[in-house]
Amino acid sequence: MSTPTLHETLAVAVAAELRPDDVGFTGLTTGGSAAMFGTMIPLAGMELARHLHAPDLVSLLAGWCHNPTLRDLAEVPGSEFDPALLRLSCDNLDMGWPPTMSLKRGDVTVGFSTAAQVDRQLNVNTTRIGTPEETKVALVGPILIPEHFALFGREIVMLPRHDTRTLVERVDHISGVGFPGGRKGRESLSLLGAGPALVITPLCIIDVGADGLPFVRSIHRGVTREQVRASTGFDIDIPADVATTPEPSAEDLAVLRAEVDPHGLLRR
Amino acid sequence: MSIARTSKLVTMAQAAAMVADGARIALGGLSVYQHPMAFAHELVRQGRRGLTSVGVLNGPELDLLIGAGCVIRVETSYVGLEKFGLAPNFRRAVENGLVEAEFYSEMAAFDRFRASEDGLAFAVSKALAGTDVAAENPKIVPFDCPITGTRLSAFPSAEPDVAVIHAVAADEYGNVLLPTRHLLPQSFDMIVARSTQTLIVTAERIISNAEVRRNPHLTGVPGFRVAAVVEAPYGAHPCHSLDANEIDDLHFAEYVEAARSQAGFEAYLDRYVRGTSDHAGYLTEIGEGRLASLRSADAA
Repeated sequence: MSTPTLHETLAVAVAAELRPDDVGFTGLTTGGSAAMFGTMIPLAGMELARHLHAPDLVSLLAGWCHNPTLRDLAEVPGSEFDPALLRLSCDNLDMGWPPTMSLKRGDVTVGFSTAAQVDRQLNVNTTRIGTPEETKVALVGPILIPEHFALFGREIVMLPRHDTRTLVERVDHISGVGFPGGRKGRESLSLLGAGPALVITPLCIIDVGADGLPFVRSIHRGVTREQVRASTGFDIDIPADVATTPEPSAEDLAVLRAEVDPHGLLRR
Repeated sequence: MSIARTSKLVTMAQAAAMVADGARIALGGLSVYQHPMAFAHELVRQGRRGLTSVGVLNGPELDLLIGAGCVIRVETSYVGLEKFGLAPNFRRAVENGLVEAEFYSEMAAFDRFRASEDGLAFAVSKALAGTDVAAENPKIVPFDCPITGTRLSAFPSAEPDVAVIHAVAADEYGNVLLPTRHLLPQSFDMIVARSTQTLIVTAERIISNAEVRRNPHLTGVPGFRVAAVVEAPYGAHPCHSLDANEIDDLHFAEYVEAARSQAGFEAYLDRYVRGTSDHAGYLTEIGEGRLASLRSADAA
């Protein structure tokens, strides 16, 4: 079997994070690597977990397609109601607002999202580069990000880019709230969910410490500590004994390729 | 022989004239789905000014109105073109200070319409504490839950003066068909329909009242809530329209390319919108062959 691609390795890493009773929610992120990180890797990770250790896990594609038959997907979906998505068999096609589940009671235990900026406090920004008075780039707006970071059990941030413009000291707009003032600061906001738990980038996997501050848990094969440090816009904690992101086992990779991604979307 | 019911069928021009300069409008549909584009085109032709748009996930319907100078204020959770990227006219207008953007989270934006539907002045969220969505928007007001004392956020309901939705079919009395197998954009349209006292419906086709009465369980909006009905085949083009047409990728690409500059977008408007006298003229400019190629498998 050929060596795993980074996208395959990350899908396996996502699967390993998931619990048997998880209900996982992806948005529908579009365009190249953003679609890969924001949508495809989380979906593949959830589906792999269903095959390996979590048969009852619920995967919510774009929030509306419950437990899609992912193996039938021949392309990375290009739009939220793509005709190819509408043809996928699934347990439930959630057709309305409010949906058939209760997002506000905390039904979703793990969310996946992407953002233009993430900062040292794990706040994320999808709304604006610059200030309200001097907007350099008007992005799309907060969308569902406030809810991801406030209501979902925990959040895994999937970043298609790891550079000093993306990982910054302070985001220009707190669209989703992390740990301002540390874990205690977050507690004072009385939010339902635990907030960001992981940030997965093309260079490394970032975890969150007991103090609510980020540290590098593992660095992907072929990437150096110096590269991670130089690409991060704040002084990030890289433990001396930092691990290499585990490569998938032969068994996991075989299941991923045969049952989850037979069309090889993670290998393109 | 009894006297006849009143038909609500009007022309697009007559319907668009119901929107006054400075009005607060809600256009149905979400992101790149089911937006009443033909109606937006007519607002541009009539030179409407000073509009405030209230919405949830806005797309080309709003970007077009902004590019044509019709809108001064936007209340929403998203303005974008999904796989076609950022909304170019929105982006330019915000960066140049020509349009003010007032943001809500997506659930909050939905619930503003649900509060209007319930006749309430405000909606509630427990997801906004600690965000700049709340910090930068003076209309989002923290308060303590009167039952538990938990910190919550209140914000005003949507309250559009006029709302417009695009449907697959309606009869001349305003009864609107909602296919059983629909999606979130059409569900949102049903909420929008209940959030206002002035609802305009554009429809792919006008069906007979007899057809409505054979399948009354499919009526999504009762006719009495509707102020005007307009026949508009391909009325959401270039957006997806349920059981009618798929997204026109080529036209979106052309739109995005044109809107890279204001001059380019003026040329787009001159060709497709100001340069056509009505929706039939717009469809001629798009071309019959292109439109036929977009037809949904489930189209009537």
